[in-house]
Amino acid sequence: MKSTARTYTLTSSQKMMIFVLSMSLYGLSNMFTELIPKLQLGPLELSVEYFAFIPLTLCILFHPFYAAVGAALGEVIFGELMLGQFGGLGELEKFLTFSLAMYIAGRMVSDPRNRMQVGAAAIVGVGIHQLCSTLVDIGKVWIGVEEFEAVPGLAESVVLIEGVSFLNTMIVSGTLFALLPTLYLVPRLYGKIEPLLGIRPREATTRYESVKVWTPKLMIGGVILALLAFGAESLSETDWNFGEWDSGLADRLGSGAIWLSIAIAAVIAVVIILIMRARKKRSGNDGSAETVPYA
Amino acid sequence: MQLVRNWFNKISIERIQLELMNTAYGSGHVFLSALDPRCMILWYLFFAIAPWFLSNMIVLAGLFLLMIATTVLSRVSPFIIFVLCLGLVGQVGWLFILSLFFGGDIASALPLLKLTLKLSIVSLASITVFSGMDPERISDGLLALGMPAAFSFSLSYGYRILPVLFEEFRSVLLSYRLRGRAPASPGFLYARLGAYYLKMLVVAFFPLMLATAKRSRTTVEALETRGFSFGMKNPKSRQLKLSHLKVTRRDIAFLSGTAAYAALLFWIGAAYPLAI
Repeated sequence: MKSTARTYTLTSSQKMMIFVLSMSLYGLSNMFTELIPKLQLGPLELSVEYFAFIPLTLCILFHPFYAAVGAALGEVIFGELMLGQFGGLGELEKFLTFSLAMYIAGRMVSDPRNRMQVGAAAIVGVGIHQLCSTLVDIGKVWIGVEEFEAVPGLAESVVLIEGVSFLNTMIVSGTLFALLPTLYLVPRLYGKIEPLLGIRPREATTRYESVKVWTPKLMIGGVILALLAFGAESLSETDWNFGEWDSGLADRLGSGAIWLSIAIAAVIAVVIILIMRARKKRSGNDGSAETVPYA
Repeated sequence: MQLVRNWFNKISIERIQLELMNTAYGSGHVFLSALDPRCMILWYLFFAIAPWFLSNMIVLAGLFLLMIATTVLSRVSPFIIFVLCLGLVGQVGWLFILSLFFGGDIASALPLLKLTLKLSIVSLASITVFSGMDPERISDGLLALGMPAAFSFSLSYGYRILPVLFEEFRSVLLSYRLRGRAPASPGFLYARLGAYYLKMLVVAFFPLMLATAKRSRTTVEALETRGFSFGMKNPKSRQLKLSHLKVTRRDIAFLSGTAAYAALLFWIGAAYPLAI
């Protein structure tokens, strides 16, 4: 630790401000990118995946953790929930990779006025995110589909689709919508946007206090949830990607379907019981809350 | 490129803004939004997970019909349905075309059809719950189910702030267009015009970032005045905030009706196995 380095502690409302700012801005941009028409040249598709410059700029200017998590949540709320494209558990993996990539990009920059650092961070941030999601996508199909070679053309088409989309995103979103706008915006916003939130501009000597949320419990929980999401998505790929397995199931579906329906019925029953219990607990809480005051 | 021009004509920002306003504010009178949000979220969880494990076409089709019914009941705006269809076609259509390209045949369309059915059941369920209900109620429901307060707040804030942000973005965009100069000719394949608009879209975020920073400060100050970050940690104030949530007979009827319908579907599905 240098003696000149001072730790800059943000108050909880400043953290919330960064979070809300990042969420609403990136969420808004996400709605546009969902709506911008895609230019298709044969199987090649040139599209604007996302406006990565918004979370990048905010992660560079502010505490990267809150800006990154806010942006990832903004994508879930505006881009997925509001437009009805929420994929359930699979979104979790997107959430984790995106916030991780943006956080790393923000941590790379120590001085927002250094253009080299800002540019490198922008490229690395988009690169990490795209690499993660490409690997996860290919891995899902590899793991989910045991008879990967059995379906003609599946292996090649998956790798081709993912490879092309990786290149496309790196070129279009990575330079046009991450590198150039970030280089344009960061020097212009530096020193202007921070006072609006009551935060001192970040300098080369500023050290943010480490985020307290990286407790072992959260880390383990995050890893388990990510594996779960990965597994769920692999499973979802399993069902449709090859015809042979399904038709094999059809022969013995007589017993399989019954088990399936029993399992589903059990799930419904459990859900209803949970609701009943929640209701009972709530009415029970009403009585006990009076006797045990909150300290 | 006539298609592109039509697209721009149909989707004007004003129209989208109007639709979003409708989503955020206009759902109080809908049947589904009177139900308990916790029940609706549990209901959603079932329909978001179950379709992935099913391979019986009858069951899937039945669930799909149910989803159409609830979507109609929740009076979702046509704009959102349009975006949904676009997404489905984009997701599944390309996979099909590419697998044809690599030597698959028309038989590979059937698994893809099933995938489309599953995807649309999941999407329609999420549309029913998340755009058919009052955002405040969803966020209270999530809070009651143990979500962090910052998340459930962000959800309802997002729904409320979006029309405002849209309005602001539109005025910024208009002022840029007033001061700037559109390219005289649209260029090859409208490339020049497209580049002009895309650049404006990016540059317009500069004033918007500053304005949103101010707004988020105001928001958080208002939240803190109401004791948000400390109040939500206190179980009693949490309870007070959530005391209006009640599971009524109507919720039980809705859930058990859906469960009965699903059970009927599974029974039919078991009787007539038609897995493709």
